Amino acid sequence: MSAITALALALLILMVVVGGKQGLSNFFALGLNTLLMILAVVLMAGGFSPVGVAVVIGLCVLAATIFLSTTRMDVAGPAFVASLLVMAGVLAVVIIGVRFSATAGFGPEDSETLEGFSVYIGVSFEQVLIATGLLGTLGAIAEAASAVAAGVIELGPKATPAGVKEIQTTIIGTALNTLFFGFFGGFSALFIWFTQLKYSFATIINNQIFVGELVQVLFSVIAVALTVPVTLWVVKRRQRIV
Amino acid sequence: MTTFSNKIMSVSGHRCWWRWGLPVLAFVLVFVGMQFDAGWYRQPIARIQTVQTTQVAHPVDNFQNHDRVVTQKLQAVLLNTAKQGQRLTLHNTYSASGAEDAPLAPGNQVFLAHAGRRYTISNIKRDAILMALAAATLVLLGLIVGRHLWLTLVSITANALLFIVALHVEIASHQTLAFLLFSAVAIGFAVITTVFVVGVKPLAAVVASATIGATALGVALGYGIFVWTNYRDLHLETVKYVTQAPQLLFFVQIIIGSLGAVLDESSDIAVAIFQLHDGGKARFHAGMAIGRNVMGPLITVLFMIFIAETFAESVLWLRNGNSISQTVVWVMGLGFAQSLISAFGIVLAIPLTSGLAALAARRTRRLR
Repeated sequence: MSAITALALALLILMVVVGGKQGLSNFFALGLNTLLMILAVVLMAGGFSPVGVAVVIGLCVLAATIFLSTTRMDVAGPAFVASLLVMAGVLAVVIIGVRFSATAGFGPEDSETLEGFSVYIGVSFEQVLIATGLLGTLGAIAEAASAVAAGVIELGPKATPAGVKEIQTTIIGTALNTLFFGFFGGFSALFIWFTQLKYSFATIINNQIFVGELVQVLFSVIAVALTVPVTLWVVKRRQRIV
Repeated sequence: MTTFSNKIMSVSGHRCWWRWGLPVLAFVLVFVGMQFDAGWYRQPIARIQTVQTTQVAHPVDNFQNHDRVVTQKLQAVLLNTAKQGQRLTLHNTYSASGAEDAPLAPGNQVFLAHAGRRYTISNIKRDAILMALAAATLVLLGLIVGRHLWLTLVSITANALLFIVALHVEIASHQTLAFLLFSAVAIGFAVITTVFVVGVKPLAAVVASATIGATALGVALGYGIFVWTNYRDLHLETVKYVTQAPQLLFFVQIIIGSLGAVLDESSDIAVAIFQLHDGGKARFHAGMAIGRNVMGPLITVLFMIFIAETFAESVLWLRNGNSISQTVVWVMGLGFAQSLISAFGIVLAIPLTSGLAALAARRTRRLR
């Protein structure tokens, strides 16, 4: 058995033991997302516009994550609508960020990775990076939207502005830690590299890979920050109609 | 329902809608401002003024990939050093795919290197966009969470400082201590962040120990499975930016990467349990129920981050004639392994936190 298959089996067992039926459904969502991500890569390499692929696959990832991880339709519905709105906004931010930062493709530190490869492959790495930026934020968007919708709907008509404010603050605070450490883990090897080779501060803040990674973190933070008020707005509109 | 919506209206109502333009304003101000910071750099910087395409080639590689390679002739002006204001001619070559190069346009700023008496472009200046996006992000967060932002920023800064100190110790010790050192750093991260999230309370002890315990258990389980399967189809040598001990760095990346998610989940569960007034068993079950709701989305957050990062290399592999299965195993494989082991920690944290919090809540109650 390959190591990854064994890891996946172990996770399945853990999730079912801890989460029961819901754990199974979560694991299924994870499996679905895995297939979607592989499909995304294949389509991008197959000549489809990477940004178009990211938008379509992104919709599926959001739907799978939100609808399979909560059993409550009154939460999942507004969370999904809000996620779609945020995704559109984030796409604009990602396009601007990727364009201006010129971080697409590979940096000088990646030269070992590129050895022996033909790099003139006819697929725009700028577009691939926009796809990376967009899809990378979707998990965080789905999580924040579900949490806000669940929290506010639970408060219901008793919600005070202070209560709503507290939900906003808690959810953003929570998401920031997840994102910060999630990306920071990947930074560790790069930072050891930088420290070992004594890169100056000026070099680091203009370094293609460092700026690319940090911009990615900022995309995710912006996405979460936007998700909170947008989800509130969607829930509020729905409640008004009801 | 109307009272509720009115109240939400008043939350967002007393802050006028145009406040949402402030992040954009911050972005523009910082971006424009940082076009004039060349004086801070010792390395020569030039601004591109005009661009002329001098040559276009249409290479076709062994895999029948068609690309376009363009050579640009650039008129630029030096922005710093003693020769500030001097005009010069530069050359840039870029491909339409842009794996290792990028087109330059009027207004772009580039770092220069001396090649004999002439200048060549060594790097693109990226500080302005980085700082502008950071400023916009901070203003946006400030609009939503208000004063709480400072707490988060101080926490992140404290963690970053700890990390920098650890890096220098690690390099000074010639990387012999790496695993021990980074494990200690991870514990430090967990304690610092917990204190900032929940304050100095008995609750913090529960959250920090559950986080550390669940992460350690998750990584141990992952390591056990690696050994048991003999690292089959796992290519740790492809861990990026690592010159030595890739396996070690891989685990360090997992530990730090999953720490935040585990900590967030653990604090969610523990805070809720401490607010309940039921018996130990009911508290445990309440904690488990909360955990079940958050684990799926949290795992997805990390999964999407780890996998999306492999896109560029995966596309490169596929276009270079590699099969899908080869690409998935060699390029995306480590991302999958990282997501799965992080997921172990996230799932294990649920019973661990629920148990610890139920026990601790009972004890603090008795003390009262």
